[in-house]
Amino acid sequence: MARATAEALDRQHLPAKNLAPVKRLPNAPTRPARRVAVPKSTKAWQTRAANIALAWLLPVALLGLWYIGTERGWLSEQVLPPPAFVYQTLGDLVSSGDLWLNASASLQRVVVGFLIGSALGVALGLAMGLSKTVEDYLLPTFNALVQIPVLGWMPFALLLFGIGEPLKYVLIAHAALVPVTLCTLQAFHEVPKRLLEVGRAYGFSQRQIVTDIVLPSAVAPIFTGLRLGFTKAWLSLVVVELLASSEGLGYLIAYSRQLFQLDLVMAAVVVVGTIGLLIDRGFEFIERRLNRGRPVKTGRLA
Amino acid sequence: MSATRPLTTQHVAQATVQPQDNGLRLENISKHFTSAGADTQLHVLDNVQLDIAPGEFITIVGASGCGKSTLLRLILGLDEAFDGRILLDDKPIRGTGLERGIVFQDHRLFPWLTVEQNVAVGLKNAPLSAAQKRETVREHIQLVGLQDFTESYPHQISGGMAQRVAIARGLVNRPSVLLLDEPFGALDALTRTRLQRELQHIWQQEKITMVHVTHDVDEAVYLGDRVVVMQPHPGRIRRIVDVDLPRPRNRSDARFIALRDDVLSDFAELS
Repeated sequence: MARATAEALDRQHLPAKNLAPVKRLPNAPTRPARRVAVPKSTKAWQTRAANIALAWLLPVALLGLWYIGTERGWLSEQVLPPPAFVYQTLGDLVSSGDLWLNASASLQRVVVGFLIGSALGVALGLAMGLSKTVEDYLLPTFNALVQIPVLGWMPFALLLFGIGEPLKYVLIAHAALVPVTLCTLQAFHEVPKRLLEVGRAYGFSQRQIVTDIVLPSAVAPIFTGLRLGFTKAWLSLVVVELLASSEGLGYLIAYSRQLFQLDLVMAAVVVVGTIGLLIDRGFEFIERRLNRGRPVKTGRLA
Repeated sequence: MSATRPLTTQHVAQATVQPQDNGLRLENISKHFTSAGADTQLHVLDNVQLDIAPGEFITIVGASGCGKSTLLRLILGLDEAFDGRILLDDKPIRGTGLERGIVFQDHRLFPWLTVEQNVAVGLKNAPLSAAQKRETVREHIQLVGLQDFTESYPHQISGGMAQRVAIARGLVNRPSVLLLDEPFGALDALTRTRLQRELQHIWQQEKITMVHVTHDVDEAVYLGDRVVVMQPHPGRIRRIVDVDLPRPRNRSDARFIALRDDVLSDFAELS
C-alpha cells in the first residue's frame, strides 16, 4: 500500500508519457437539494455555562444548608450567625474601611514574604540544579528541615525575630521557599536530554546550554512552584497573624473570636478565601499562557 | 572550516568539488556499552570500516539493534568512548562540530522558539554577522519551502513540516556532512515519500555528503549512492551495495526492484 502510493507520487516527476486521451464522463444530472434534519448540537457557550453552573452547585447548596440551619435553629445564633447577618457585617467592614486596612496589611506581608522566599527558592533551586555538588551538600538537610511546619518554628522565631514584621516576613518567606526550591530543582532534573544533545551538536557552550535550553524549558515548572509557593505563603500568613499581630485578616479572625463575634470571623474567612482564590486564578492564567506551545498535551479519563 | 566556506549555494557547489576534500573515513570502529552493575559488556559495533567520498549519499540500513544509530552518534561526536578513528578531511574528529549537521528521528525543535528561531539555533556559534545569519536562515527556510511559516511554533505545524525545519537547521551551517538518523521514520507514508524526494533534491543542489540511517530498505535504495547493510550482534557491516541507477529513481523500475529485493534478501537470511 505504502509502496503503491510512493510509486504514484514518484511518477509525477517523471517525464510525461504519451497517454491515451481520457474519456470524460458526462456531468452528473443536477438534483434538487434535499433538506436533512440535523440534530441541534450543543453550542460551546452552553457547555461552558453548564460547567460554570456545576462549579457553583456545591457552594450554593452549602449556603442553602447554612441558611436553613440558622432558620431552624440547629445551632445557636452565637455559634452560627445567619448568612444575612454575615453579609451585613461584611458590608460594615467595607464601609468602615476596616476591611481595606486589614487586607492591605496582610497583602503587604504576603507579597514581601513571598518575594523574598521565592527569590531565595529560585536561587537555591538554580544552585542545586546547576551543580551536583551543591545539591549533594544541601538537599538532604533541606529535605529534613522542610518537614518542620511553620508552627514548629514559631517559638524559636519569636525569640529570634521578636513579634514585629520581620517575624511575619521570615515565616511567610520560609513557607514560599520550600515549594519554589523543589520545583526549580525538579525543572532542572527534567530538562529533555534530546534537546541537550541538540545544543551539543551545535557547539553550545555550557553557559548557552543553561540560558538557551535549560532555563526556557524550566520556566513553566518553576512557575508552577511559584504558584504553589504563593498558596503556602497565604496559608501561613493567616496562621502567623492569628498568633502575633495587631492588624491583618488573620488578626481580624483571632480578635473577633475572642469577642465571640462569629459573624466577623465568618466574614473574614470569606475574604481570606476569596483573595486567595483570585490570586491563584491569576497565577493559573499566567501558567497556562506559559505552557502554551508545550509539546506534551495531557489527556483525562472523563 | 565552516568559517572559510563561502555563503551562497553556488559557491558551496564549487567549493565541495575541491580535490583536497577527502571525505569521511571510518577506521576500525568498535563500541562497547558497559551495563551498570554488571560485568558484562554489550558489543554494539565491531570493526566498522567505511570510506565515504565527498558529496556521496550513503544510506545505512539494518534491523533495530544493529548499531546504526550508535554509529551516527559517534560520527556526530556525541559519544567519544569508542575504539578506532573517524577522520573528516584526514583530520580525526573531536567532539561535535559545525561541519557535521544532524537530523534526528524526532525533530527535536525547541518548543518555545518559532520556525525561524529554531533554524537559527544551528547558527548560534557560527562565525557570521547577524545580517549574514538572518540571510542564511531565510535561504534555508526557503530551501525546505516553509517561508510562509517562519513565525509558527513547532506545535502549530505538522510532523512533516517540523522535520523539514530540522533539516533546514541541520543544513544551515553548510556542513560538509549531514547525518540523518531515521529522519522520516515517524512520518506517514505520503509525507515520507515527498520528503525523500525533497531530500534528494536538496542533496543534488547542495552537493554535500549525506549519511542517512534508516530501517526502510525501499528508502535506502531510493536515496543512496551506496547502501550499507548492517547486521546485529555485534553490529557490523554485512555488505555494501552500489546503487547505479539514474536519479530521480523510479520505484517500479525492474532494476530498482531487483536491487531492493537483493538487499531485502539479506534480512530474510538474518531472521
